[in-house]
Amino acid sequence: MGGLDQLRQLQQDFMHYVLGEQSEIVTQIESTPVLSAKDRLDIYATAYKLRLKEAISTDYEVLHLYLGDEQFDNVMEDYIAHYPSRITNLRYYSINMTALLKTRSPFNQHPVLAELATIESSFANSFDSHDRTVVALDELAAMAPEAWATLRLAFQSSVQILPLAFNSFEVWRALSKAQTPPTLEASSESLNWVLWRRADLISHYRPLDGAENAALSLALQGESFAVIFEALLDFYSEEETPMKAVSYLQSWINEEMLSGLSY
Amino acid sequence: MSRPFLGFGLGLRTDHYQHVIEHRPQVDWFEIISENYMVPGGKPLANLDKIRADYPMVMHGVSMSIGSTDPLNQGYLEKLKGLIERVEPLWVSDHLCWTHVDQVNSHDLLPLPYDEATINHLADRISQVQDFLGRPILIENLSSYVSYTQSEMPEWAFVSEIVKRSGCYLLLDINNIFVSAHNHHFKPETYIDAIPSERVMQFHLAGHSYNGDMIIDTHDHDVCDPVWALYEYALRRFGAVSTMIERDDNIPPFTELRAELAIAEAIAAKTLTEQQLEISGRALLRGAA
Ligand SMILES: [Fe+2]
Repeated sequence: MGGLDQLRQLQQDFMHYVLGEQSEIVTQIESTPVLSAKDRLDIYATAYKLRLKEAISTDYEVLHLYLGDEQFDNVMEDYIAHYPSRITNLRYYSINMTALLKTRSPFNQHPVLAELATIESSFANSFDSHDRTVVALDELAAMAPEAWATLRLAFQSSVQILPLAFNSFEVWRALSKAQTPPTLEASSESLNWVLWRRADLISHYRPLDGAENAALSLALQGESFAVIFEALLDFYSEEETPMKAVSYLQSWINEEMLSGLSY
Repeated sequence: MSRPFLGFGLGLRTDHYQHVIEHRPQVDWFEIISENYMVPGGKPLANLDKIRADYPMVMHGVSMSIGSTDPLNQGYLEKLKGLIERVEPLWVSDHLCWTHVDQVNSHDLLPLPYDEATINHLADRISQVQDFLGRPILIENLSSYVSYTQSEMPEWAFVSEIVKRSGCYLLLDINNIFVSAHNHHFKPETYIDAIPSERVMQFHLAGHSYNGDMIIDTHDHDVCDPVWALYEYALRRFGAVSTMIERDDNIPPFTELRAELAIAEAIAAKTLTEQQLEISGRALLRGAA
Protein backbone atom coordinates (compact mmCIF):
# COMPACT_ATOMS: atom_id res chain seq x y z
CA MET A 1 0.00 0.00 0.00
CA GLY A 2 1.29 3.47 -0.77
CA GLY A 3 0.33 6.96 -1.78
CA LEU A 4 -3.20 8.09 -1.22
CA ASP A 5 -4.41 4.73 0.10
CA GLN A 6 -1.85 4.95 2.86
CA LEU A 7 -3.00 8.48 3.71
CA ARG A 8 -6.62 7.35 3.76
CA GLN A 9 -5.82 4.45 6.05
CA LEU A 10 -3.95 6.79 8.37
CA GLN A 11 -6.90 9.18 8.52
CA GLN A 12 -9.37 6.38 9.22
CA ASP A 13 -7.14 4.95 11.96
CA PHE A 14 -6.68 8.39 13.48
CA MET A 15 -10.42 9.07 13.46
CA HIS A 16 -11.18 5.71 15.07
CA TYR A 17 -8.80 6.62 17.86
CA VAL A 18 -10.38 10.04 18.34
CA LEU A 19 -13.81 8.42 18.52
CA GLY A 20 -12.56 5.97 21.15
CA GLU A 21 -12.76 2.97 18.82
CA GLN A 22 -10.31 0.15 18.07
CA SER A 23 -7.41 1.65 16.10
CA GLU A 24 -3.92 0.86 14.85
CA ILE A 25 -2.80 4.48 14.66
CA VAL A 26 -0.49 4.30 17.70
CA THR A 27 2.09 2.40 15.65
CA GLN A 28 2.26 5.26 13.15
CA ILE A 29 2.92 8.01 15.68
CA GLU A 30 6.40 8.85 16.90
CA SER A 31 7.03 8.88 20.62
CA THR A 32 9.21 11.56 22.18
CA PRO A 33 11.57 11.10 25.15
CA VAL A 34 8.87 12.48 27.44
CA LEU A 35 5.60 11.54 25.74
CA SER A 36 4.40 8.23 24.35
CA ALA A 37 2.55 8.04 21.05
CA LYS A 38 -0.59 7.32 23.03
CA ASP A 39 -0.16 10.37 25.26
CA ARG A 40 0.25 12.52 22.19
CA LEU A 41 -2.84 11.06 20.51
CA ASP A 42 -4.86 11.52 23.66
CA ILE A 43 -4.45 15.27 23.30
CA TYR A 44 -6.62 14.98 20.18
CA ALA A 45 -9.09 12.49 21.68
CA THR A 46 -9.59 14.74 24.71
CA ALA A 47 -9.90 17.87 22.59
CA TYR A 48 -12.52 16.18 20.40
CA LYS A 49 -14.84 15.55 23.32
CA LEU A 50 -14.22 18.94 24.89
CA ARG A 51 -14.98 20.72 21.65
CA LEU A 52 -18.27 18.89 21.12
CA LYS A 53 -19.24 19.43 24.75
CA GLU A 54 -18.54 23.11 24.40
CA ALA A 55 -20.80 23.25 21.35
CA ILE A 56 -23.60 21.40 23.14
CA SER A 57 -23.25 23.56 26.27
CA THR A 58 -23.52 26.74 24.20
CA ASP A 59 -26.70 25.47 22.54
CA TYR A 60 -28.43 24.13 25.69
CA GLU A 61 -27.60 26.53 28.52
CA VAL A 62 -31.01 26.24 30.17
CA LEU A 63 -31.12 22.47 29.95
CA HIS A 64 -27.68 22.56 31.60
CA LEU A 65 -29.02 24.79 34.40
CA TYR A 66 -32.02 22.52 34.89
CA LEU A 67 -29.94 19.35 35.11
CA GLY A 68 -26.84 20.63 36.88
CA ASP A 69 -23.28 19.89 35.76
CA GLU A 70 -23.19 16.17 36.48
CA GLN A 71 -26.47 15.14 34.86
CA PHE A 72 -25.87 17.45 31.93
CA ASP A 73 -22.49 15.86 31.41
CA ASN A 74 -24.21 12.45 31.25
CA VAL A 75 -26.48 13.82 28.55
CA MET A 76 -23.51 15.18 26.60
CA GLU A 77 -21.57 11.92 26.89
CA ASP A 78 -24.58 10.00 25.63
CA TYR A 79 -25.11 12.45 22.80
CA ILE A 80 -21.49 12.32 21.67
CA ALA A 81 -21.49 8.52 21.81
CA HIS A 82 -24.65 8.33 19.70
CA TYR A 83 -23.95 11.12 17.28
CA PRO A 84 -20.46 11.17 15.80
CA SER A 85 -20.55 14.47 13.91
CA ARG A 86 -21.62 14.18 10.30
CA ILE A 87 -22.05 17.89 9.79
CA THR A 88 -19.58 20.50 8.62
CA ASN A 89 -20.54 23.46 10.78
CA LEU A 90 -20.37 22.96 14.55
CA ARG A 91 -23.38 25.28 14.85
CA TYR A 92 -25.56 22.34 13.79
CA TYR A 93 -23.90 19.55 15.75
CA SER A 94 -26.45 19.36 18.56
CA ILE A 95 -29.63 19.44 16.45
CA ASN A 96 -30.61 15.90 17.45
CA MET A 97 -30.78 16.69 21.16
CA THR A 98 -34.58 16.62 21.37
CA ALA A 99 -34.63 13.26 19.58
CA LEU A 100 -32.05 11.82 21.98
CA LEU A 101 -33.89 13.04 25.07
CA LYS A 102 -37.21 11.72 23.77
CA THR A 103 -35.93 8.25 23.04
CA ARG A 104 -33.09 7.41 25.42
CA SER A 105 -33.56 6.14 28.93
CA PRO A 106 -33.40 7.56 31.57
CA PHE A 107 -33.89 10.96 29.90
CA ASN A 108 -37.18 9.99 28.24
CA GLN A 109 -38.72 9.40 31.67
CA HIS A 110 -38.53 13.19 32.21
CA PRO A 111 -40.39 14.74 29.26
CA VAL A 112 -39.49 18.24 30.44
CA LEU A 113 -35.90 17.62 29.25
CA ALA A 114 -36.90 17.11 25.63
CA GLU A 115 -39.26 20.08 25.90
CA LEU A 116 -36.52 22.38 27.20
CA ALA A 117 -34.26 21.17 24.40
CA THR A 118 -37.02 21.90 21.88
CA ILE A 119 -37.40 25.43 23.22
CA GLU A 120 -33.67 26.12 23.06
CA SER A 121 -33.15 24.64 19.60
CA SER A 122 -36.19 26.54 18.31
CA PHE A 123 -34.70 29.82 19.56
CA ALA A 124 -31.42 28.90 17.85
CA ASN A 125 -33.23 28.10 14.58
CA SER A 126 -35.12 31.37 14.79
CA PHE A 127 -31.99 33.38 15.61
CA ASP A 128 -30.16 32.75 12.33
CA SER A 129 -33.00 31.74 10.01
CA HIS A 130 -33.48 33.35 6.57
CA ASP A 131 -34.15 37.07 6.21
CA ARG A 132 -37.36 37.47 4.22
CA THR A 133 -39.64 40.38 3.40
CA VAL A 134 -42.43 41.12 5.86
CA VAL A 135 -46.07 41.36 4.74
CA ALA A 136 -47.79 44.64 5.66
CA LEU A 137 -51.50 44.97 6.51
CA ASP A 138 -52.27 47.08 3.42
CA GLU A 139 -51.42 44.08 1.23
CA LEU A 140 -54.44 42.45 2.79
CA ALA A 141 -56.60 45.47 2.06
CA ALA A 142 -55.62 45.25 -1.61
CA MET A 143 -57.06 41.75 -1.86
CA ALA A 144 -60.40 41.18 -3.63
CA PRO A 145 -63.12 39.48 -1.49
CA GLU A 146 -63.37 36.49 -3.83
CA ALA A 147 -59.62 35.82 -3.40
CA TRP A 148 -60.12 34.61 0.18
CA ALA A 149 -60.89 30.99 -0.61
CA THR A 150 -57.65 30.48 -2.54
CA LEU A 151 -55.44 32.59 -0.26
CA ARG A 152 -52.25 30.84 0.88
CA LEU A 153 -49.61 32.24 3.20
CA ALA A 154 -45.83 32.16 3.16
CA PHE A 155 -44.21 32.45 6.57
CA GLN A 156 -40.92 33.63 7.93
CA SER A 157 -38.73 30.56 8.20
CA SER A 158 -38.37 31.28 11.91
CA VAL A 159 -42.04 30.42 12.60
CA GLN A 160 -42.19 27.17 14.55
CA ILE A 161 -44.97 25.47 16.51
CA LEU A 162 -43.75 23.82 19.70
CA PRO A 163 -45.99 21.12 21.19
CA LEU A 164 -45.38 21.21 24.96
CA ALA A 165 -47.23 19.02 27.45
CA PHE A 166 -45.71 20.71 30.52
CA ASN A 167 -45.17 24.24 31.77
CA SER A 168 -41.73 24.04 30.21
CA PHE A 169 -41.80 27.60 28.87
CA GLU A 170 -42.26 28.91 32.42
CA VAL A 171 -39.40 26.70 33.59
CA TRP A 172 -37.25 27.91 30.70
CA ARG A 173 -38.12 31.55 31.38
CA ALA A 174 -37.29 31.34 35.09
CA LEU A 175 -34.00 29.52 34.53
CA SER A 176 -32.87 31.85 31.77
CA LYS A 177 -33.38 34.76 34.19
CA ALA A 178 -31.46 32.87 36.89
CA GLN A 179 -34.66 32.49 38.96
CA THR A 180 -36.01 29.42 40.73
CA PRO A 181 -38.18 27.52 38.26
CA PRO A 182 -41.84 26.78 39.12
CA THR A 183 -42.91 23.26 40.03
CA LEU A 184 -43.23 21.14 36.95
CA GLU A 185 -46.84 20.49 35.95
CA ALA A 186 -48.74 19.23 32.95
CA SER A 187 -50.29 22.15 31.05
CA SER A 188 -54.02 22.51 31.47
CA GLU A 189 -55.05 24.26 28.30
CA SER A 190 -52.39 25.40 25.87
CA LEU A 191 -50.32 22.56 24.50
CA ASN A 192 -48.87 24.44 21.58
CA TRP A 193 -46.70 27.52 21.42
CA VAL A 194 -45.56 29.55 18.47
CA LEU A 195 -42.04 30.95 18.34
CA TRP A 196 -40.81 33.28 15.61
CA ARG A 197 -38.47 36.17 14.86
CA ARG A 198 -39.74 39.66 14.11
CA ALA A 199 -38.19 42.09 11.65
CA ASP A 200 -36.08 43.65 14.44
CA LEU A 201 -34.38 40.22 14.72
CA ILE A 202 -35.79 39.58 18.21
CA SER A 203 -37.49 36.22 18.74
CA HIS A 204 -40.95 36.10 20.36
CA TYR A 205 -43.18 33.34 21.63
CA ARG A 206 -46.75 32.91 22.84
CA PRO A 207 -49.25 30.13 23.50
CA LEU A 208 -51.78 29.06 20.85
CA ASP A 209 -55.32 27.96 21.64
CA GLY A 210 -56.69 24.88 19.88
CA ALA A 211 -58.38 26.79 17.06
CA GLU A 212 -55.45 29.05 16.25
CA ASN A 213 -53.08 26.08 16.41
CA ALA A 214 -55.24 24.23 13.88
CA ALA A 215 -55.37 27.28 11.59
CA LEU A 216 -51.66 28.09 11.89
CA SER A 217 -50.59 24.47 11.37
CA LEU A 218 -52.61 24.27 8.15
CA ALA A 219 -51.38 27.65 6.97
CA LEU A 220 -47.77 26.60 7.61
CA GLN A 221 -48.39 23.47 5.52
CA GLY A 222 -49.40 25.76 2.66
CA GLU A 223 -53.12 24.99 2.81
CA SER A 224 -55.61 27.52 1.41
CA PHE A 225 -58.03 29.53 3.52
CA ALA A 226 -60.88 27.35 2.24
CA VAL A 227 -59.26 24.45 4.09
CA ILE A 228 -58.58 26.63 7.15
CA PHE A 229 -62.26 27.79 7.28
CA GLU A 230 -63.29 24.16 7.15
CA ALA A 231 -61.02 23.21 10.06
CA LEU A 232 -62.22 26.16 12.16
CA LEU A 233 -65.79 24.86 11.96
CA ASP A 234 -64.71 22.32 14.59
CA PHE A 235 -64.24 25.25 16.98
CA TYR A 236 -66.67 27.98 15.85
CA SER A 237 -70.07 28.40 14.23
CA GLU A 238 -70.43 29.14 10.54
CA GLU A 239 -71.10 32.83 11.31
CA GLU A 240 -68.08 33.19 13.61
CA THR A 241 -65.58 31.35 11.45
CA PRO A 242 -64.79 33.99 8.78
CA MET A 243 -64.28 36.70 11.41
CA LYS A 244 -62.00 34.41 13.39
CA ALA A 245 -59.94 33.50 10.35
CA VAL A 246 -59.52 37.17 9.42
CA SER A 247 -58.50 38.08 12.95
CA TYR A 248 -55.85 35.34 12.99
CA LEU A 249 -54.52 36.54 9.69
CA GLN A 250 -54.38 40.13 10.93
CA SER A 251 -52.53 39.18 14.07
CA TRP A 252 -50.02 37.05 12.16
CA ILE A 253 -49.38 40.03 9.89
CA ASN A 254 -49.11 42.44 12.82
CA GLU A 255 -46.73 40.08 14.55
CA GLU A 256 -44.58 39.96 11.39
CA MET A 257 -44.90 36.21 10.93
CA LEU A 258 -45.75 36.39 7.23
CA SER A 259 -43.43 36.79 4.26
CA GLY A 260 -45.97 36.60 1.44
CA LEU A 261 -49.64 36.26 0.36
CA SER A 262 -50.59 34.36 -2.74
CA TYR A 263 -54.04 34.01 -4.24
CA MET B 1 -1.49 39.03 -6.30
CA SER B 2 1.54 40.91 -5.05
CA ARG B 3 1.55 41.30 -1.32
CA PRO B 4 -0.79 44.05 -0.15
CA PHE B 5 -0.14 45.26 3.40
CA LEU B 6 -3.37 45.75 5.34
CA GLY B 7 -1.75 46.80 8.59
CA PHE B 8 -2.83 45.37 11.94
CA GLY B 9 -6.09 43.54 12.48
CA LEU B 10 -8.04 41.51 14.99
CA GLY B 11 -10.23 38.43 14.83
CA LEU B 12 -13.85 39.57 14.98
CA ARG B 13 -15.63 37.87 17.89
CA THR B 14 -19.28 38.05 18.96
CA ASP B 15 -18.27 39.39 22.39
CA HIS B 16 -17.02 42.52 20.64
CA TYR B 17 -19.79 43.19 18.10
CA GLN B 18 -21.48 45.84 20.16
CA HIS B 19 -18.28 47.66 20.99
CA VAL B 20 -17.15 47.66 17.37
CA ILE B 21 -20.52 48.82 16.02
CA GLU B 22 -20.95 51.55 18.63
CA HIS B 23 -17.40 52.88 18.91
CA ARG B 24 -15.87 52.05 15.54
CA PRO B 25 -12.46 51.59 17.16
CA GLN B 26 -9.32 52.16 15.15
CA VAL B 27 -8.29 48.77 13.76
CA ASP B 28 -6.98 48.42 10.22
CA TRP B 29 -9.04 45.31 9.42
CA PHE B 30 -10.90 42.32 10.82
CA GLU B 31 -10.60 38.62 10.16
CA ILE B 32 -13.87 36.70 10.40
CA ILE B 33 -14.37 32.98 10.98
CA SER B 34 -16.26 32.06 7.80
CA GLU B 35 -18.36 29.30 9.39
CA ASN B 36 -19.89 31.72 11.91
CA TYR B 37 -21.65 33.40 8.99
CA MET B 38 -22.52 30.31 6.96
CA VAL B 39 -26.05 30.44 8.33
CA PRO B 40 -29.24 31.50 6.52
CA GLY B 41 -29.69 34.98 8.07
CA GLY B 42 -30.50 36.89 11.23
CA LYS B 43 -28.18 38.73 13.57
CA PRO B 44 -24.86 37.12 12.62
CA LEU B 45 -25.16 38.34 9.04
CA ALA B 46 -26.75 41.66 9.99
CA ASN B 47 -23.83 42.42 12.33
CA LEU B 48 -21.36 41.25 9.73
CA ASP B 49 -22.78 43.61 7.11
CA LYS B 50 -22.70 46.53 9.55
CA ILE B 51 -19.09 45.96 10.49
CA ARG B 52 -18.01 45.20 6.93
CA ALA B 53 -19.30 48.63 5.91
CA ASP B 54 -16.64 50.21 8.15
CA TYR B 55 -13.67 47.83 7.94
CA PRO B 56 -11.71 45.79 5.40
CA MET B 57 -12.09 42.08 6.06
CA VAL B 58 -10.42 38.78 5.35
CA MET B 59 -12.15 35.41 5.73
CA HIS B 60 -10.68 32.52 7.69
CA GLY B 61 -12.27 29.06 7.60
CA VAL B 62 -11.86 25.93 9.72
CA SER B 63 -13.89 23.35 7.78
CA MET B 64 -12.48 23.04 4.27
CA SER B 65 -10.62 19.87 5.29
CA ILE B 66 -8.32 20.36 2.34
CA GLY B 67 -6.14 17.41 3.35
CA SER B 68 -8.95 14.87 3.73
CA THR B 69 -9.06 11.82 1.47
CA ASP B 70 -12.84 12.21 1.26
CA PRO B 71 -14.06 14.09 -1.83
CA LEU B 72 -14.05 17.88 -1.49
CA ASN B 73 -17.17 19.07 0.30
CA GLN B 74 -18.94 20.80 -2.59
CA GLY B 75 -21.82 22.04 -0.41
CA TYR B 76 -19.35 23.74 1.87
CA LEU B 77 -17.47 25.32 -1.02
CA GLU B 78 -20.69 26.68 -2.49
CA LYS B 79 -21.67 28.27 0.81
CA LEU B 80 -18.17 29.67 1.14
CA LYS B 81 -18.42 31.18 -2.32
CA GLY B 82 -21.75 32.76 -1.41
CA LEU B 83 -20.21 34.33 1.68
CA ILE B 84 -17.24 35.57 -0.35
CA GLU B 85 -19.66 37.35 -2.67
CA ARG B 86 -21.34 38.99 0.29
CA VAL B 87 -18.22 40.00 2.22
CA GLU B 88 -15.83 40.74 -0.67
CA PRO B 89 -12.85 39.88 1.50
CA LEU B 90 -9.29 40.79 0.61
CA TRP B 91 -8.50 37.11 0.80
CA VAL B 92 -9.74 33.75 2.05
CA SER B 93 -7.80 31.27 4.16
CA ASP B 94 -8.10 27.83 5.73
CA HIS B 95 -5.70 25.36 7.32
CA LEU B 96 -3.17 22.87 6.02
CA CYS B 97 -4.93 19.98 7.72
CA TRP B 98 -7.72 17.46 7.49
CA THR B 99 -10.81 17.51 9.69
CA HIS B 100 -13.01 14.64 8.49
CA VAL B 101 -12.85 11.22 6.92
CA ASP B 102 -15.69 8.86 5.90
CA GLN B 103 -17.97 11.88 6.47
CA VAL B 104 -17.25 11.88 10.21
CA ASN B 105 -16.00 15.23 11.39
CA SER B 106 -13.53 15.77 14.23
CA HIS B 107 -14.08 19.55 14.09
CA ASP B 108 -10.36 19.73 14.74
CA LEU B 109 -7.35 20.73 12.65
CA LEU B 110 -5.59 17.39 12.31
CA PRO B 111 -2.01 17.15 11.06
CA LEU B 112 -0.90 15.43 7.85
CA PRO B 113 2.11 13.21 7.22
CA TYR B 114 4.84 15.08 5.38
CA ASP B 115 5.49 12.98 2.29
CA GLU B 116 5.38 13.16 -1.47
CA ALA B 117 1.96 11.52 -1.90
CA THR B 118 0.39 13.96 0.54
CA ILE B 119 2.02 16.91 -1.21
CA ASN B 120 0.53 15.77 -4.52
CA HIS B 121 -2.88 15.31 -2.93
CA LEU B 122 -2.81 18.73 -1.30
CA ALA B 123 -1.49 20.58 -4.34
CA ASP B 124 -4.23 19.01 -6.42
CA ARG B 125 -7.02 19.79 -3.95
CA ILE B 126 -5.89 23.37 -3.36
CA SER B 127 -5.86 23.90 -7.14
CA GLN B 128 -9.40 22.54 -7.39
CA VAL B 129 -10.60 24.89 -4.65
CA GLN B 130 -8.84 27.86 -6.22
CA ASP B 131 -10.41 27.06 -9.60
CA PHE B 132 -13.84 26.80 -8.04
CA LEU B 133 -13.53 30.01 -6.03
CA GLY B 134 -11.83 31.80 -8.91
CA ARG B 135 -9.10 33.16 -6.63
CA PRO B 136 -5.97 31.98 -4.85
CA ILE B 137 -6.39 30.95 -1.23
CA LEU B 138 -4.12 31.18 1.81
CA ILE B 139 -3.31 28.12 3.86
CA GLU B 140 -2.23 28.25 7.47
CA ASN B 141 0.35 26.13 9.28
CA LEU B 142 -0.93 24.25 12.35
CA SER B 143 0.06 23.70 15.90
CA SER B 144 0.49 19.95 16.15
CA TYR B 145 0.98 17.43 18.92
CA VAL B 146 1.85 14.27 16.96
CA SER B 147 4.30 13.43 14.20
CA TYR B 148 3.94 10.44 11.90
CA THR B 149 6.52 7.74 11.25
CA GLN B 150 5.41 8.04 7.62
CA SER B 151 6.79 11.60 7.28
CA GLU B 152 9.80 12.01 5.00
CA MET B 153 10.62 15.68 5.46
CA PRO B 154 10.31 18.53 7.93
CA GLU B 155 7.10 20.56 8.03
CA TRP B 156 8.67 23.63 6.41
CA ALA B 157 9.76 21.65 3.36
CA PHE B 158 6.27 20.16 3.08
CA VAL B 159 4.57 23.56 3.36
CA SER B 160 6.96 25.24 0.91
CA GLU B 161 6.49 22.53 -1.71
CA ILE B 162 2.68 22.66 -1.53
CA VAL B 163 2.73 26.43 -1.88
CA LYS B 164 5.03 26.16 -4.86
CA ARG B 165 3.00 23.50 -6.65
CA SER B 166 -0.49 24.87 -6.00
CA GLY B 167 0.23 28.58 -6.37
CA CYS B 168 -1.51 29.31 -3.09
CA TYR B 169 -0.34 31.76 -0.42
CA LEU B 170 0.56 31.33 3.21
CA LEU B 171 -1.06 32.50 6.36
CA LEU B 172 1.89 32.01 8.64
CA ASP B 173 0.87 31.55 12.26
CA ILE B 174 3.89 32.64 14.28
CA ASN B 175 2.52 31.14 17.46
CA ASN B 176 1.88 27.81 15.73
CA ILE B 177 5.49 27.71 14.56
CA PHE B 178 6.59 28.35 18.13
CA VAL B 179 4.23 25.70 19.53
CA SER B 180 5.18 23.04 16.97
CA ALA B 181 8.88 23.86 17.36
CA HIS B 182 8.59 23.13 21.06
CA ASN B 183 6.46 20.00 20.59
CA HIS B 184 8.62 18.56 17.83
CA HIS B 185 12.01 19.83 18.93
CA PHE B 186 13.10 22.07 16.10
CA LYS B 187 14.27 25.68 16.00
CA PRO B 188 11.43 28.00 14.97
CA GLU B 189 13.90 30.22 13.12
CA THR B 190 14.79 27.28 10.85
CA TYR B 191 11.14 27.08 9.83
CA ILE B 192 10.88 30.79 9.10
CA ASP B 193 14.14 30.79 7.15
CA ALA B 194 12.87 28.04 4.85
CA ILE B 195 9.55 29.61 3.86
CA PRO B 196 9.35 31.33 0.43
CA SER B 197 8.98 34.98 1.39
CA GLU B 198 6.94 36.07 -1.62
CA ARG B 199 4.12 33.65 -0.73
CA VAL B 200 3.57 34.93 2.83
CA MET B 201 0.42 37.04 2.84
CA GLN B 202 -0.66 37.18 6.49
CA PHE B 203 0.52 36.48 10.03
CA HIS B 204 -1.41 35.14 12.99
CA LEU B 205 -0.34 35.81 16.56
CA ALA B 206 -1.93 34.11 19.55
CA GLY B 207 -1.40 32.86 23.07
CA HIS B 208 -0.98 29.25 24.15
CA SER B 209 -0.93 27.02 27.25
CA TYR B 210 1.47 24.49 28.70
CA ASN B 211 0.07 21.02 29.29
CA GLY B 212 2.91 19.11 30.90
CA ASP B 213 5.62 18.92 28.28
CA MET B 214 3.40 19.89 25.40
CA ILE B 215 2.33 23.36 24.40
CA ILE B 216 -1.30 23.51 23.33
CA ASP B 217 -2.57 26.16 20.94
CA THR B 218 -5.42 27.41 23.11
CA HIS B 219 -5.79 31.07 22.04
CA ASP B 220 -6.80 31.89 25.60
CA HIS B 221 -3.81 33.97 26.73
CA ASP B 222 -1.88 37.06 25.72
CA VAL B 223 0.87 36.58 23.15
CA CYS B 224 4.00 35.60 25.11
CA ASP B 225 7.44 37.22 24.85
CA PRO B 226 9.19 34.45 22.88
CA VAL B 227 6.41 34.65 20.28
CA TRP B 228 6.83 38.44 20.08
CA ALA B 229 10.55 37.83 19.53
CA LEU B 230 9.78 35.33 16.78
CA TYR B 231 7.38 37.85 15.24
CA GLU B 232 10.21 40.36 15.07
CA TYR B 233 12.42 37.70 13.48
CA ALA B 234 9.72 36.99 10.88
CA LEU B 235 9.33 40.70 10.08
CA ARG B 236 13.08 40.96 9.44
CA ARG B 237 12.87 37.97 7.14
CA PHE B 238 9.64 38.79 5.24
CA GLY B 239 9.17 42.55 5.58
CA ALA B 240 5.71 44.02 6.23
CA VAL B 241 3.03 41.33 6.46
CA SER B 242 -0.57 41.97 7.50
CA THR B 243 -0.72 40.92 11.14
CA MET B 244 -3.57 39.97 13.42
CA ILE B 245 -4.16 38.54 16.90
CA GLU B 246 -6.46 35.55 17.38
CA ARG B 247 -8.25 35.23 20.66
CA ASP B 248 -10.88 32.51 21.04
CA ASP B 249 -11.20 31.84 24.73
CA ASN B 250 -11.03 33.83 27.93
CA ILE B 251 -11.76 36.82 25.68
CA PRO B 252 -10.85 40.18 27.25
CA PRO B 253 -12.66 43.48 26.60
CA PHE B 254 -12.02 44.87 23.14
CA THR B 255 -9.82 47.70 24.40
CA GLU B 256 -7.44 45.21 26.03
CA LEU B 257 -7.09 43.24 22.83
CA ARG B 258 -6.56 46.46 20.92
CA ALA B 259 -3.79 47.38 23.35
CA GLU B 260 -2.14 44.01 22.69
CA LEU B 261 -2.29 44.71 18.97
CA ALA B 262 -0.41 47.96 19.65
CA ILE B 263 2.54 45.82 20.80
CA ALA B 264 2.64 44.26 17.32
CA GLU B 265 2.51 47.76 15.79
CA ALA B 266 5.36 48.90 18.01
CA ILE B 267 7.53 45.91 17.13
CA ALA B 268 6.88 46.46 13.42
CA ALA B 269 7.63 50.19 13.78
CA LYS B 270 11.03 49.55 15.30
CA THR B 271 11.87 46.68 12.91
CA LEU B 272 10.73 48.05 9.56
CA THR B 273 10.84 51.39 7.76
CA GLU B 274 7.87 53.73 7.51
CA GLN B 275 7.84 53.09 3.80
CA GLN B 276 7.56 49.35 4.32
CA LEU B 277 4.69 49.89 6.72
CA GLU B 278 2.62 52.01 4.37
CA ILE B 279 -0.82 50.47 4.14
CA SER B 280 -1.81 49.52 0.61
CA GLY B 281 -4.15 51.92 -1.19
CA ARG B 282 -7.79 52.15 -0.21
CA ALA B 283 -8.75 51.17 -3.75
CA LEU B 284 -7.42 47.76 -2.92
CA LEU B 285 -9.67 47.31 0.03
CA ARG B 286 -12.76 45.74 -1.47
CA GLY B 287 -12.42 42.44 -3.30
CA ALA B 288 -8.94 43.11 -4.60
CA ALA B 289 -7.36 39.66 -4.53
FE1 LIG C 1 -3.94 30.71 13.53
